[in-house]
Amino acid sequence: MSQTDDIFEGLLRLGVTHGVGLPDSVTAPLIARIDEHPAMTWTPVTREGEAFSIASGLWVGGKTPVVIVQNTGVLESGDSLRGVALRMGVPLLCIVTYRGRAKMLAAGWTPTPTTHSDTRPGQTLDRDWLLRPDVDSTALLTEPTLQAWKVPYRIYESPQDLDATWDLAQNQVRPAILLLPKAAPGAVSANGSDQ
Amino acid sequence: MKKLAALEALQRHRTDQVVVTSMSVVRPWGRLSTHPLDFASADSAMGHTADFALGIALAQPERRVICLNGDGSMLMTLGTLVTVASARAENFVLIVVNNGTYEITGNQQIPARERLDFVGLARASGFPRALAFEDAEAFDSALADILSEPGPTLVELRVDAEDEGPISRTSGEPAPYLQISLEASARLLREALAG
Repeated sequence: MSQTDDIFEGLLRLGVTHGVGLPDSVTAPLIARIDEHPAMTWTPVTREGEAFSIASGLWVGGKTPVVIVQNTGVLESGDSLRGVALRMGVPLLCIVTYRGRAKMLAAGWTPTPTTHSDTRPGQTLDRDWLLRPDVDSTALLTEPTLQAWKVPYRIYESPQDLDATWDLAQNQVRPAILLLPKAAPGAVSANGSDQ
Repeated sequence: MKKLAALEALQRHRTDQVVVTSMSVVRPWGRLSTHPLDFASADSAMGHTADFALGIALAQPERRVICLNGDGSMLMTLGTLVTVASARAENFVLIVVNNGTYEITGNQQIPARERLDFVGLARASGFPRALAFEDAEAFDSALADILSEPGPTLVELRVDAEDEGPISRTSGEPAPYLQISLEASARLLREALAG
């Protein structure tokens, strides 16, 4: 099965009823599956911050939503993620494309891991790194931002990571993010950056 | 129109609808109503009341959801008008209480207050119904239709700026729904909707 198939089947198994978010080329096939399935509803948003608030409302209304956005959209969503989903204690599963991770790793930047057994040391995220044209600063800031915001996350390596992220959200009663690092062949994001 | 007169009209017509309040409406509504389906979007994220309330409406399509949003709050997420229209949430009534100011932070003027037209914005975003009222009696007369006809419906209430101060969630607040945390409020509403 493809990554999309694995995640979609996992969402069905977990009882997800609604998807909310904004697509990119990596998540578009998954969103199409959600949109086409009779047991699920897809709600597109105009900006990612809406997704975390709508999903929180869906949860308060008794449904089981998933948020699907890109990592740059998570950075945009700070106040909604903080003030609504986190502040209400919503156990919210979020699937987030990890745009720019491959280039970031190729350039030699390794985020300090927090939720994996990987114990490689982190580096200093200084101005030179943030301004490098060959590295997407969205990728550089994704994991440090989630760590600062106290949002637990995992990086997708196998279908079990979806369940592990679900468990993080349920056990910690807060949003938890599954970062999708793998690119679809030829995938490009909405702003033209490669994945 | 005085804000309280409009809220009193809404309170007279309200039955089993969810009412989500924001900003300068939170306290006045809390003085009028202690309904279990009242929810104060206070101590939350700025500009994310309408999208949160939309989530409840999508989760509970058989129940009408009324969002009492501020004008400044609406301006922070104007894209939500498009999201609401796109979602075709027929059970959603979005009331924008337009006093032309950020009232609870000291009545600083909102941008373009003299030219701003929320009804025009809603219609251009795809709302099938959008109405404006400058008179509480006219609003009162229209409320039966507003709360029964298919939406989504946007209502702009043009009210006087008053002097409602900053909102807290403490035992000192007179409104019971402000005497508990946002998390507790979310769980109470979730339980009430499940019941």
